[in-house]
Amino acid sequence: MPDYKVRSITLLQGLFSSEALQKMKFAKNSHVFVCEGRPTLEAGRKTTQALLKKGTTPTIISDNMAGFLFFKGLVKEVIIACQLADNTGALCDTGALILSVLARKHKVPLKLLAAEPRSRFLGDPKLLLSFEGQRMAPQGTQAYVPLVEWVEAKYLRKI
Amino acid sequence: MFESPLFWPAYIKKNVLYVLDETLVPGKLKYIPVKNVKGAVNVIRQMKTRAFGQFLVVLNTFLLEIQNEGRGLSPASQGDCSLQKHLQYVAHELNNSRPTFPFAEVTGIVIGSAQKARSEGKDVRIAVIKTIEGFLAGIRARRLQRVNEIAQALQDGDGILTHCNVSGELAMAASLARTEGKHVKFFATETRPYMQGAKLTVWEMQEAKVPVTLIPDNAVGSLMADGFVNKVIIGSDRSAANGDIANKIGSYQIAVLAREFRIPLIVLTQPSRGVASGADMPIEIRDADEFLVFNGKRIFPPKVKGFYPGFDVVPYQLITKAIAIHAGL
Repeated sequence: MPDYKVRSITLLQGLFSSEALQKMKFAKNSHVFVCEGRPTLEAGRKTTQALLKKGTTPTIISDNMAGFLFFKGLVKEVIIACQLADNTGALCDTGALILSVLARKHKVPLKLLAAEPRSRFLGDPKLLLSFEGQRMAPQGTQAYVPLVEWVEAKYLRKI
Repeated sequence: MFESPLFWPAYIKKNVLYVLDETLVPGKLKYIPVKNVKGAVNVIRQMKTRAFGQFLVVLNTFLLEIQNEGRGLSPASQGDCSLQKHLQYVAHELNNSRPTFPFAEVTGIVIGSAQKARSEGKDVRIAVIKTIEGFLAGIRARRLQRVNEIAQALQDGDGILTHCNVSGELAMAASLARTEGKHVKFFATETRPYMQGAKLTVWEMQEAKVPVTLIPDNAVGSLMADGFVNKVIIGSDRSAANGDIANKIGSYQIAVLAREFRIPLIVLTQPSRGVASGADMPIEIRDADEFLVFNGKRIFPPKVKGFYPGFDVVPYQLITKAIAIHAGL
């Protein structure tokens, strides 16, 4: 187990707009972790590239590893990519709901930043059946790939 | 009843232990021949087998090494004393293969039986073989019984989310439930980075003719919020005395979300008093290259670091129901 300090990690999730990535700032001692963003990995790749350009060396995790970081008390803030927001909640890139619920449970502040606008709300199921072009799931597999999800305001309060 | 190859993924035939290479499923059903403890440790460390497969490999490796000893292929010389010493060496190697699964609790059963036989002046070889064979038969019967219990827990119309793979039991229970006229459908998380959900769970559900839909790990919240699932069923690699469990990475966030959306979380457990709570369970941190590199090619920009914890602890407070088999651990 790497020696991360309690509440030392900033956790990023979703496909941020280029402008949002340019404006992102982190405390000097924070470790920046990025969720990979299946099925395309576009979020993980774009975010990590942008951070490297800014001189921040990020750490990538699979989307299912965020809970571990919360459970260990390592997360100090969460930044998620948001398509639009109003008083009732926010439409965010898929995965935001998991992080919002975890952030509320573990009393971790959460910020919304602008996402890359999406023209589709559902992804092509074929994307999930393969990984980097190699077939993973058996023939005939049905897949469901929501690209955005609604996060109710109750999970976004006190941010 | 339909029996998944993942239910019993290792067996001995003619002095060789054959272990199903789960990393090749669904493309191939290939069994890796294992001839000694070194080979057994390799298939465990390389995750060729996992979960219940590890349990089978551990017990069968002792049988294999006893056979090797009988054929003069083992470093152990003749006599009960040296056999016991060799079994202790085998246990030591297996115990140090991976940190989270309770290998020492399983090997302890074998070593305990050897010690008991020796102290009672009985043949250690015969006593250990009898213990292991009896144990395996008992476990098989209890797992089949648990398949029935899981099937009873499934209701007509259920939408069930599962994560990773529970070594055949869930697919068999689903198949059984369908023969009882219950229409159930499953959602399987992909389970990055090894994708056991996409490769194993989806495949065995298809084999069992049970409807299953694959989802990305990050879509669990959507699925629950939109009311697609009314039960979550997962396995566990280890249990603590207080009821906490360790399971595949991703289990904790699924458990938290299930509680948030008031969806019951059912966990298949093997109760143990080996550790007091989840805090005492060592969590394996694997090499990040296992998900930063795919087919020899780096999939994220150079210099990006990775972090790969293999397991989560799920506190007992988040578990609605445990369906246990008492493995004697």
